[in-house]
Amino acid sequence: MIACRDVSFSYPASGPVDGECLTEGALKHITCTIEDGSFVLLCGASGCGKTTLTRLLNGLIPHYHEGTFTGSVYLGGKDTRDLSLFEISQMVGSVFQNPRSQFFNVDTTSELAFGPENHGLPEKAVRERVRLVAEQLRLESLLDRSIFSLSGGEKQKIACGSAAAIDPDIYVLDEPSSNLDAYAIADFRKLLMRLKAQGKTIVISEHRLYYLRDLADRVLYMKDGEIRGDYTAAEFQSLPAERREQMGLRPLDLNDLKGIALPHGRTGDSEWKIRQFSFAYKHQPETLHIDEVEFPFCGATAIIGHNGAGKSTLSRCLCGLEKRCGGTVQEQGRIYSRKERLKLCYMVMQDVNHQLFTESVLDEICLSMRTEDRAKAEAVLAEMDLLPYRERHPMGLSGGQKQRVAVASAIASERPLIVFDEPTSGLDLFHMRQVAEVVNRITEQGRTAVVVTHDPEFILRCCKFVIHMEHGKIQESYSLCEPEGRERLLRFFLNEMG
Amino acid sequence: MNRLQGKDLINIGIFTAIYFIVIFAAASIGFIPIFIPLISVIVPLVGGIPMMLFFSKIKKFGMLTICGLLLGVIMLLTGMGYWCIPTGLIFGLISDFMMKGCGYKNAKREVLIHGVFSMWVIGAFIPIVVTRDAYYQNLLPGYGQEYADTLMAYMPDWILPVLLAAAFVSGLVGGLIGRKLFKKHFERAGIVS
Amino acid sequence: MSRELLASQKNHSGIVLDPRTKLAVLTTIAVFILGGSYEGVMQYYIIVLAAIPLLLLLSAGKWKGAVLYLLIFGGSLCLELFGLSYLTGVANFIAVAIVGLFLRFTPGIVMGYFVVTTTTVSEFVAAMERLHLPQQITIPMSVMFRFFPTVAEEWSAIGDAMRMRGVRFGGGKAGSILEYRMVPMMICSVKIGEELSAAALTRGLGGPVKRTNICKIWFRAQDIVLLLICLGAFAAQVYVWAARG
Repeated sequence: MIACRDVSFSYPASGPVDGECLTEGALKHITCTIEDGSFVLLCGASGCGKTTLTRLLNGLIPHYHEGTFTGSVYLGGKDTRDLSLFEISQMVGSVFQNPRSQFFNVDTTSELAFGPENHGLPEKAVRERVRLVAEQLRLESLLDRSIFSLSGGEKQKIACGSAAAIDPDIYVLDEPSSNLDAYAIADFRKLLMRLKAQGKTIVISEHRLYYLRDLADRVLYMKDGEIRGDYTAAEFQSLPAERREQMGLRPLDLNDLKGIALPHGRTGDSEWKIRQFSFAYKHQPETLHIDEVEFPFCGATAIIGHNGAGKSTLSRCLCGLEKRCGGTVQEQGRIYSRKERLKLCYMVMQDVNHQLFTESVLDEICLSMRTEDRAKAEAVLAEMDLLPYRERHPMGLSGGQKQRVAVASAIASERPLIVFDEPTSGLDLFHMRQVAEVVNRITEQGRTAVVVTHDPEFILRCCKFVIHMEHGKIQESYSLCEPEGRERLLRFFLNEMG
Repeated sequence: MNRLQGKDLINIGIFTAIYFIVIFAAASIGFIPIFIPLISVIVPLVGGIPMMLFFSKIKKFGMLTICGLLLGVIMLLTGMGYWCIPTGLIFGLISDFMMKGCGYKNAKREVLIHGVFSMWVIGAFIPIVVTRDAYYQNLLPGYGQEYADTLMAYMPDWILPVLLAAAFVSGLVGGLIGRKLFKKHFERAGIVS
Repeated sequence: MSRELLASQKNHSGIVLDPRTKLAVLTTIAVFILGGSYEGVMQYYIIVLAAIPLLLLLSAGKWKGAVLYLLIFGGSLCLELFGLSYLTGVANFIAVAIVGLFLRFTPGIVMGYFVVTTTTVSEFVAAMERLHLPQQITIPMSVMFRFFPTVAEEWSAIGDAMRMRGVRFGGGKAGSILEYRMVPMMICSVKIGEELSAAALTRGLGGPVKRTNICKIWFRAQDIVLLLICLGAFAAQVYVWAARG
């Protein structure tokens, strides 16, 4: 049993700045009890304190993250303050948001063995644990692989396996689906079902709710560091969809998305035409092959498909970042070669940290301009609601603000084509809509946006055209302006759920 | 608690990796033989940027010694001989003592410490110099006294101390550069705690 | 994965060696070829030592590397033995310098290349633990090897962003190139590092008990042979010293 008794926590002022825990993320007077064997879903907007609560449960607070902590958390009757992180690690298994940063080893088998090894189990017992976990969670096919060759979904499964190898009674997961596509989420859901069937206590903080609909026994709704709602699964499902939307939560059922209105804004009269795109890594078979595909000039186009379907490769080729990619892009008879595309397109990367270089937001915008014009730069910033932050260091901003800085510098660069790579992974309803709003704004200015994404709601809110890729080829492409197109899109995402 | 904890050990690994990649990229210039001595200038110069950030995370004794040892091990693995292991250990240890001496929070002293730490690169030059005499003996029978002397003039006795001094001085400059970037970026970005 | 410094996945080609043997060979090559004096019998023994990486490359089917190594090392050796005395003046000086460098450095570099491409991180760390190195060294070491590919990924992603934004050498802001590259890379790496520490600690790293390791390493016949050759080199050196009196 987990029990929180009047827990309050706040991070120090100069704490980590991953957006969620600058001044936000603090907890106020949390009291709750989680029964053994229950599956608890923590939901709420970004910054509501979900992540902080998970850190309290797995002992990272107070043993790793510093801050002011009052009240007590009890695991099986013991105060977490009196337990060491090492002791807690035997009771609680943790899975984190970012699949790239939670592996200590470079191969999967060592990663599964890592926990038991740390606990000093004899070699034979460790091997047995690894075998057992691989069998129970169906990870056999992933054994003995390099973690650098795994997809995001596979990494999260290994992360769960690695937690499970210690055989804890409690699992704490912090937004594990953030970087997964719909197919990987369905797969991940099955793994959670297996853990639940073993009678484990599971606490999961999550933005995407639909895949947990049938799993959660209890839903805790958090806002401003407090638990504002404590529902049974039945109660939560019987809430009207509008109520959940008011609470800032993502839909529980993808069918609820049918009602989203077509994004307004003008559609262009001409097309971008991609011709003869092909790409292969050195000594590897072709991973991308496109004879010809068109998408509208002006307006937003979504690129969808499974992980590994070639979506990211296509966007990189489009931006001219892949030297090995042949092919051209045309618009109204003008043909752009690879080198010209480097100046034609601007990519807003999935990890925006990679593209922010300077010491202030304003400099960042000026760097993108052909000729530096401070007045114009400030106008662009005002448009993106960034003017108050112009002197701040870009890396010190929250995730959403950084993304807007990247978009603002794309606008300042005056390039007609802006590519977004997974802009909404890990965002809550409010921030996702904010990004959709940004995309709508840039398309209204007569630019074209191309969005690589797994987020059906986001697509419906800002895109007018869909390119569906599979196995490096174009499966289909269709307009979303008619209802049939929109149904086709939802069908794709619902089928994925299996 | 003065023993190194998990977090400290992980930090050592991370920063040694960053440091090595940065200096390796910069030192690639040394693959052209004439520029080899320049390595002792370039490495400390660019290494200051990651190192000054690393220094700000150091609160316990021993982290720089381990870092120096790891650098030596990588140098051995990349075929540069084992001399960087002792030099890494020695200059790491001295730096650790100096860090302890200034209570782990003296920015000016840290620049000086970077200068000292940078001298580990001398390990990469030791094979060229220690074998000099033997090489000289070998040359004598084949080429004659005069020729061997001319050749040796290009590798004078004092080259080691000169390189060591060069490493120290450019380590100071690198430390200053690192300090500047530290204030300009890392502090303002909030990644220093 | 050319960006890794040690392999992350097993590579079953060629003669399988214990990582400790590989380290012993590397060290022996460093002592006698890179830093040796080539006196007396040693000048023949180094050829034996230099043949080890060649053999290993051949056994791993790395033909290109083997041929290249044979050409560079063999060529330098021939020049050193026969060619140099025919050259004069500047040509001679340059030849001596280059030949000397090649002769001394190539075997070590090639052996290093073999070691880093055929040893997995787990094996290497297991070897370090067998050599009784304390956790304070093995933990940073595994993190370091784990981190090389990650830093390299960050490095190339930032490079892409720079190309896309048109920041390059020769532009108006050339002086800032280093800054633009290093700053995001370090900020990202530090963040990943923080998350990595948290994840590792929740898996019980750094606890009071002694870690175990499931990675098996042991000496095989080929290890014994190579270790004997290495020992032989030291014995030969002692003999040379003794003979000199």
